[in-house]
Amino acid sequence: MSIEFTPSEYLLLFRNAGDWHRGLSPQELQEVTDQWMTWYNRLSEQGKVTAGHPLMHEGKIVSGKNGQFVADGPFAESKETIGGYFLLSVESADEAIGIARECPGLAYGMRVEVRPVAAKCALRETAEAELAQSHA
Amino acid sequence: MVVADTQERDAPPGEIPQVVEHLFRHEWGKMVSRLTSIFGIDRLNLAEDLVQEALARALQTWPYYGVPKNPAAWIMQVSKNLAIDYVRREKVFRDKEAEIISLLEQHNTVSNRSPSFAEEIKDDSLRMMFVCCHPIVPREAQVALALKILCGFSPAEIGKALLASEAAVTKKLTRAKEKIRSAGIPFAVPTGKELSERLAGVLQTLYLLFNEGYKASSGPRLVREELCHEAIRLTSFLAENPVGNCPKVHALLALMLFNAARLPTRIDSNGNILLLKEQDRSRWNRPLISRGMFHFSQSAAGDEISEYHIQAGIAACHCAAPDYDSTDWLNILSLYDGLIEIDDSPVVALNRAVAIANVHGVEAGIEAVAAIPGRAKLDAYYLLYAVLGEFEAQLNHRDAAAGYFRRALELADTRSERQFLAKKLKESQQGEKEKKQKKRRATEAIG
Repeated sequence: MSIEFTPSEYLLLFRNAGDWHRGLSPQELQEVTDQWMTWYNRLSEQGKVTAGHPLMHEGKIVSGKNGQFVADGPFAESKETIGGYFLLSVESADEAIGIARECPGLAYGMRVEVRPVAAKCALRETAEAELAQSHA
Repeated sequence: MVVADTQERDAPPGEIPQVVEHLFRHEWGKMVSRLTSIFGIDRLNLAEDLVQEALARALQTWPYYGVPKNPAAWIMQVSKNLAIDYVRREKVFRDKEAEIISLLEQHNTVSNRSPSFAEEIKDDSLRMMFVCCHPIVPREAQVALALKILCGFSPAEIGKALLASEAAVTKKLTRAKEKIRSAGIPFAVPTGKELSERLAGVLQTLYLLFNEGYKASSGPRLVREELCHEAIRLTSFLAENPVGNCPKVHALLALMLFNAARLPTRIDSNGNILLLKEQDRSRWNRPLISRGMFHFSQSAAGDEISEYHIQAGIAACHCAAPDYDSTDWLNILSLYDGLIEIDDSPVVALNRAVAIANVHGVEAGIEAVAAIPGRAKLDAYYLLYAVLGEFEAQLNHRDAAAGYFRRALELADTRSERQFLAKKLKESQQGEKEKKQKKRRATEAIG
């Protein structure tokens, strides 16, 4: 089993997406668009953002044991609405937080949630390796 | 669901895409006008909300997918799609719904956008201009309304530019819109006899908008320059239209261009006012002056000589002079003689007195100030005392000059005006006329 260094992955979730730009003037909207674009481009050039998308506000919620319920939603409070995400590939939690801090929406009340992507557990890998051996 | 994007993206990695400066503002004006033309003037707020949402969609998606090849068309398309969604969902237009949707769907694909569509957009903006400048709305509210609807300024930005609170601006805008709604002002360009009257009103508002920006010193400089450039943009738009392509419009546009060319040199890096004679003429914006000269020549087409013609003429004299000493004051004085016949305000008379001083000597200037009819109206006007102080200083009457500058200082209400006057006061008290750096001032004393 090789011990490879894998950079950590973090998900940045942009919250308060429903509201934060409401009060902005066209000029401010253009400025933030520019800033955000510059930010995103820089991070993807550096290979730090590996994926990112805006999310539409309305979607469907599927529930029920057999998935029999399909409802409109989520109707989260606009403060909680997620407007988009970045998947980061960085060295540390600090770096992910540092990137989140650069978000141009913060100044206007947007909130950025930083969530580490759970790594494959080392125990599981050992177990899988042992299993493979016993089958051999 | 709104189709957010129908176009190819154009954002090669490694290159930061740039959006044309003020694109959002200007597309805002066009699209709000277009949607209002379709929905009716009583749904102006709805039009504004929809365009705001379209711009928010740009903010939401462009950073991830890049700037569309034709950003303006994108904004237009998304605004229309949002409008169609809204009309279908809310059922607010009842029996008109089908008609409105078909209007919105016209020219709906980017590829077959016809020249006639561009014309429609222009016509709508022109109509909106006449609505914003309708005489039923008080003049100052007209300026605020034009900034909001045609130029996409927020109430906060308008407040900053016009030195009012955001709340006061919001109130003013709400009232103005209410008036327009309740009076049932048609969304149309007036015709026949009404047109020239209403056009004059539009010009006055644009002139006021420009002057709000041009007023020497108050407010953040950048914001105020933007007002001048918006006024020029709207006046140019008017001049390019058959309705506004007339001598008076060209004269106003020329006046604005000449003055705007000098904008960056009117204040030094510390925010101090620089007089015409102290300005670095090599920094005057030559392309703007050339444009001004072009429109000035267009303005000579008719028989009418408006106040804009004369003021543009005066500004042209300044712009044409390579340095202060070679200014054609004789011509400027004769233009002021003409202006005072159209506009007998004491402020014009005060400016004329300065021209007189330059042609006939400082004493003649002082006499001219004394002879201003209705001079009492200038009693609280700091420039009266600043001019008199300058005259006395040139005659080396230091005490008299200091007295006037002190009075002017009491009356001036902005920081840069006060700084300027304090400098003048200090100079007159110290009698520093011979000082080396003031040698330029010595030449002007020849009068």
